Amino acid sequence: MAEEEWEPKILAFCCNWCSYAGADAAGLERRQVPPTIRVIRVMCSGRIDPAFVLMGLLEGADAVLVTGCHIGDCHYVNANYKTRNRYEFLKEFVDELGLEPERLWLSWISASEGSLFAEMVREVTEKIKKIGPSPLRREWKK
Amino acid sequence: MEEVKAKMPRYYLAWAKDDAIRKKGANGGFVTATLVSALETDFIDVALVVKKKSVYEGIPVLTNDPEEIKECSGSLHCVPLNLTKYVVEYAAKKRIGLPTKPCDARGIIEQAKRRQVSLENVYMVGLNCGATLHPLRMREIAAYYGLDPDSVVREEIKEGKIFLVSDEEGKEKEKWMKIDELEEKGYGRRDACKSCVTKIPTMADLACGNWGSNDEKKTFVEVLTDKGETLFKNAVDSGYVAIEEAPGKGIETRQRIDAGMQKRAASWKEKMDALKALSRSERFEFYVGALKNCIHCGACKEVCPVCACEEDAKCTGLYDERDSYAISMYNLVRIFHLMDSCIHCGQCEDVCPVDIPLTLIQRRFSERMQRHLGYTPGMDVTKKPPLYETELGWSAEAE
Ligand SMILES: Cc1cc2nc3c(=O)[nH]c(=O)nc-3n(C[C@H](O)[C@H](O)[C@H](O)COP(=O)(O)OP(=O)(O)OC[C@H]3O[C@@H](n4cnc5c(N)ncnc54)[C@H](O)[C@@H]3O)c2cc1C
Ligand code: SF4
Ligand code: SF4
Ligand code: SF4
Ligand code: FES
Repeated sequence: MAEEEWEPKILAFCCNWCSYAGADAAGLERRQVPPTIRVIRVMCSGRIDPAFVLMGLLEGADAVLVTGCHIGDCHYVNANYKTRNRYEFLKEFVDELGLEPERLWLSWISASEGSLFAEMVREVTEKIKKIGPSPLRREWKK
Repeated sequence: MEEVKAKMPRYYLAWAKDDAIRKKGANGGFVTATLVSALETDFIDVALVVKKKSVYEGIPVLTNDPEEIKECSGSLHCVPLNLTKYVVEYAAKKRIGLPTKPCDARGIIEQAKRRQVSLENVYMVGLNCGATLHPLRMREIAAYYGLDPDSVVREEIKEGKIFLVSDEEGKEKEKWMKIDELEEKGYGRRDACKSCVTKIPTMADLACGNWGSNDEKKTFVEVLTDKGETLFKNAVDSGYVAIEEAPGKGIETRQRIDAGMQKRAASWKEKMDALKALSRSERFEFYVGALKNCIHCGACKEVCPVCACEEDAKCTGLYDERDSYAISMYNLVRIFHLMDSCIHCGQCEDVCPVDIPLTLIQRRFSERMQRHLGYTPGMDVTKKPPLYETELGWSAEAE
């Protein structure tokens, strides 16, 4: 075990209409997506309660990605504006708590942007490998 | 009889016409007389005041009995209550009048934003507030003065000094010391109050205090809202309250003291921030170390004047006793939800049975967010909590 390279766990929330379809497209186009990713599909990025992100971090995710349709393309009028607003809070929160800002990502990905999705997961994986496992996970009570 | 003109000046000296009320009141009983007149002229249905049990204890009383309001006059500095939740719980639908320190008024305004009360029904007779003290800390001061804490019968704070009078077997003893000196030695006001920068309740309907008054038995009153003006006029017209225009010098003095207090509070805030010099990972260790002691009693949520959730809330709902995280979802969610709305009143820390430094923690998270948002909670009922907004005033660009 000790010799094996550590693989981060990355949690991505994807909205049904854009970013999940984008992740799907990455697969269809046979792009390499690192196996570090765990996708949770929600109907809309507006459904991603900040508490979900916090819980993801507590449960042992080394990074959490919040993704959805591009601004203006949300299928529920303006819900991703709310996502963007809540993300501002999350950013400050994670930083104050003492976690590295790289553990939190926001990205707008359309259904046709499979390459963007794959690239993002690669980038996040690389960054997280550099900074190591999330200290929150380590802090489970013995 | 004084005549109140149509266009009123903002500042007055005021006092109770009734001699007994004037004598018993902290500064001439204006607040008490105003509440009594509001009740007797059917302006309000109930008043919420604080009844003294001892120097170290006071209880909130909701009453429609003028005699009880009179009984409750005077300032209790060792009763760090926040009255917000009592208004919400017991008088949300009633017309109510009450004295409000700045943190009471700010809590009530936040509850109004969350539709728990309607400000139309709430008459906030604001009190300037230099501080409250935790009763246990005041007992320590009594002991430090060489007095038996149990025999202290009166306390007073004036001109920056804390006066205590004890009655030991019929013999009264008075001792005092400057607050600054006491605080150098680690005695004194609550941490939240030391660093509180809202000393004059400009968000209430009236602001009352001794700053700027030239007479111990006259209250300096600032009229702040139309509602405050109606309440004030009513108290004068019904013959309960006598007034004179505040002298220009008094207005200046009051501003000067307020500015000085704010400056001192700001420097305390710096001084007490134990996390300022820590690195990111040390900060993390601090939060984990402090919050892992939480026993999830829920007291901090119960007293928090800006939280409008019932027992079933997101913080309690997402927390499970079987979880074994060092920082629980309860604390993460509570801190997150208060980032835009915490008014730094310190109620949570006062009730925490395991002494988690919650004032500091909540302040660290919320102050940076509020600065980032350019938003101050509890000041203006028309400003919605930004967490509920669809778009923020400024544009947040996605990475
Ligand atoms: C904790 C505290 C600190 C204060 N600090 C300052 C100061 O630094 N500078 C200044 O100018 N003025 C301060 N004041 C206001 C001042 O002491 C008088 O209350 C004010 O001048 C009105 O005087 P009055 O005679 O009209 O009030 P009163 O007629 O005596 O009525 C006072 C009312 O306040 C209520 N009350 C007493 N204790 C509390 C409490 N802890 N919380 C909420 N309500 C309470 C009483 O029940 C009563 O209804 C403070 C008041 C309090 C309660
Ligand atoms: S927090 Fe401010 S307003 Fe509230 S009791 Fe303390 S000094 Fe007074
Ligand atoms: S979190 Fe604590 S300090 Fe902040 S408003 Fe609530 S009780 Fe007051
Ligand atoms: S009062 Fe203290 S122990 Fe109780 S729930 Fe709040 S933080 Fe935990
Ligand atoms: S549907 Fe994709 S963000 Fe709303």
